[in-house]
Amino acid sequence: MNDQLLWYTTRAAGAVSMIMLTGVVVLGVMSTLRATPRGLPRFFTPALHRNIALVTLVFLALHVVTAVVDPFTSLGWTAAVIPFSSYYRTFWLGLGTIAFELLLAITVTSLLRGLLGHGAWRAIHWLTYAAWPVAIVHGLGTGTDAWSPWLFTLTCLCVGAAAFVVVYRFTAGSTDPLAAQRASFRAGVDRRPDR
Amino acid sequence: MRNPENVQSRISARDRADRLINQLTAGAAIAALGAVGVFGVVGASTIPGATTASTASTTTSTSTSSSSTSSGLQPAGGSVTSSSSSGVVVSGGSH
Repeated sequence: MNDQLLWYTTRAAGAVSMIMLTGVVVLGVMSTLRATPRGLPRFFTPALHRNIALVTLVFLALHVVTAVVDPFTSLGWTAAVIPFSSYYRTFWLGLGTIAFELLLAITVTSLLRGLLGHGAWRAIHWLTYAAWPVAIVHGLGTGTDAWSPWLFTLTCLCVGAAAFVVVYRFTAGSTDPLAAQRASFRAGVDRRPDR
Repeated sequence: MRNPENVQSRISARDRADRLINQLTAGAAIAALGAVGVFGVVGASTIPGATTASTASTTTSTSTSSSSTSSGLQPAGGSVTSSSSSGVVVSGGSH
């Protein structure tokens, strides 16, 4: 395959992965907020979040594979698996490896959620809040097009969208419909005299 | 007891949501594939990089270098005695 074509594909797949990953984060936060379009059942947003996450992994794999097999950089598969083992742009590529492996861990544990239990799955899923910024920094640090106006604009839009939903998620009140009942139950339990 | 009409409407809403999820997933995958093509073209037009392969092959054939690189990259000038095979030589491209 043409080396240039591999290089263009790596860059393009990286940009697409960034956009899709941002979409996955936004959908994930919307799931937490129980935000669902009117007239649709509540499983709609989480299910779409899961499907888009799986599609995103395909494009991330395309990004990684085309980068590894590109003879110009001769990265090798070790660099794709072991963070900071690449001789080429060691730090920035290492961040990309970390982000990819975090996302892989999040996806695998989500698929095995039934075996892990909700608590463990939830704890690992919090890694998303680390994986996404690490991926963005990787792109800014090593992306050939990172500072091109078109990709920089897209990056800013992605950062804005993710920042908005994350800030909203942490500032909005509880979306649990039974929150009031739970609070009153706990208060009642706390008021019970010790035996 | 649940109202049968209410149950039926929930079932149809669920079916509609399932179809919509499948359509949106397929749409996202197709759009992403198209975006790879578009971004590839845009990237190639903004930062095309250096086409080193053809020039490198002619240069290595006429130079006095004894390097055994096979990656098609242009070796450094002068007599090179290294036998490194990874071909890590920057040729001025922005790759």
